[in-house]
Amino acid sequence: MAIFFLREAWRSINAHRGLAFTAVFSMTAALTLCATFLLVSFNVQRALLAIGDRREMVVYLKDEASDADVKLLQDKITQYYGSSTFVSRAQAWSEFSQQVGDPELLQAVETNPLPASLRVKLRPELQNFAAMDTCAHEIERFPQVEAVRFGAEWVRRLDELNDDARRTALAAGAVVALAIVLVLYNTLRLTVVARRQQVEIMNRLGAGDRFIAIPFVIEALLEVLIAATISLGLAGAMSYAASQRLPSVSFLPPAWSLAFVGGAVVLGWLASTLALTRILRTVGP
Amino acid sequence: MIAFEHVTKRYGERLALDDVSWRMDEGECVVVLGASAAGKTTLLRLITHETQPTSGRVIVGTFRGGRLPRGHRALLRRTLGIVYEDFRLLPDRSVFENVALAVRIAGRFADSEVIPRTLRALEEVGLHQHQRALPAELSFGERQRCAIARAIVNRPALLIADEPTGALEPRSASEVLDLLRRIHREGAALLVGTTRPEVADALGGRRLTLVEGRLSEAAAHPAPSGAAGG
Repeated sequence: MAIFFLREAWRSINAHRGLAFTAVFSMTAALTLCATFLLVSFNVQRALLAIGDRREMVVYLKDEASDADVKLLQDKITQYYGSSTFVSRAQAWSEFSQQVGDPELLQAVETNPLPASLRVKLRPELQNFAAMDTCAHEIERFPQVEAVRFGAEWVRRLDELNDDARRTALAAGAVVALAIVLVLYNTLRLTVVARRQQVEIMNRLGAGDRFIAIPFVIEALLEVLIAATISLGLAGAMSYAASQRLPSVSFLPPAWSLAFVGGAVVLGWLASTLALTRILRTVGP
Repeated sequence: MIAFEHVTKRYGERLALDDVSWRMDEGECVVVLGASAAGKTTLLRLITHETQPTSGRVIVGTFRGGRLPRGHRALLRRTLGIVYEDFRLLPDRSVFENVALAVRIAGRFADSEVIPRTLRALEEVGLHQHQRALPAELSFGERQRCAIARAIVNRPALLIADEPTGALEPRSASEVLDLLRRIHREGAALLVGTTRPEVADALGGRRLTLVEGRLSEAAAHPAPSGAAGG
């Protein structure tokens, strides 16, 4: 029976090549838009993740904190927040000196005013503004701690950028989903109208809606599959072209590509099933 | 098998059937005779649930009155064999494919049975030589025989034919009537709607006459009390 349905679908595509081409073309346009946003979103996320790796928190220690106190604090930080590196007052001064570079200016400062500190690399799940802010407040309560800094504004903006990228990709996905539903609905309606005589005869012979619908659904799925594959190819070409200028740009990983095609096919299946449920009720005795 | 209980059907202001009651038993042959627009096609369409009565009840086998859900309507039609005056064949399918489609729609047979069943039906109507031909390549008589093959391929208990010889010249009409008689002799109930008395004469069986939507008194069959299906 599966072969029969496949043959029927192929017969329908062949008989209405113009319609099939229009459907594939329209869906390719919509899916290419989606693939582009997905590609941009993926690369933005990668870039943000790389920047996120450099997010760190500086915990300034009180001058009176002993080595044992610092060790105790480091243990607590390791346990709850992430890894930490101790920077002594001398190391801090040395780094500062290298950054300033002007010996005269440095000589003007008679004593080392810099405190010892811990540079904390937070766990990945804590690398967002809200979590970092909470961590900072918690760490500040330790008696060994003078102050905590983590570049709050910079982290907040980074998070906002990440959220914007994700929201844009989602919005594009929603627009494309709607476009696919509309394209498939109208294509199927036209195909069913074009094959009205066949549908009516099958109805009179006692064919159920499912029997009549299956070839049309297969036809729609084939069209979506072709459109999604072409879109992915176009996105690949765009990614290649971009990587010539920006070497850090990379194409979607296989799992994302599969999810893209799979998502399009599932959407096509849902849209065509829903459309045919409505359309077939208007055709036939 | 079929029972009409005080069935009236209106299309807007026009009265197509007026308080019609009759019944048909299993294996019976009934010819519904009437002039054009007498209500024959409406009567047959009520049986296949292509239309609904304005009032009254139509019982077909175990399907009793009312508007059936789409799934049940399809099931009812699968239990019937239907032949139309204009054949209703798919023009882009071969004779074989037209008949095989009915086997697949029936959904009762394995894939391996489709070909032998179809060939047997084509042989019965004498079309096995033309199995690859498209309907347009056949004469009208051959097209009607193809439609009959499609109607009988699933061995329905009831074969309904709406003006089966309407589009045929005398020789083809005679062949089709011979075929219908043979199918009836082999056990299927036969319900034929026609304007031609000679069709009724050729088929024999019980004759119902429709005049302007009413069954003529001589032919009317009383409505069964507590009407049971066939």
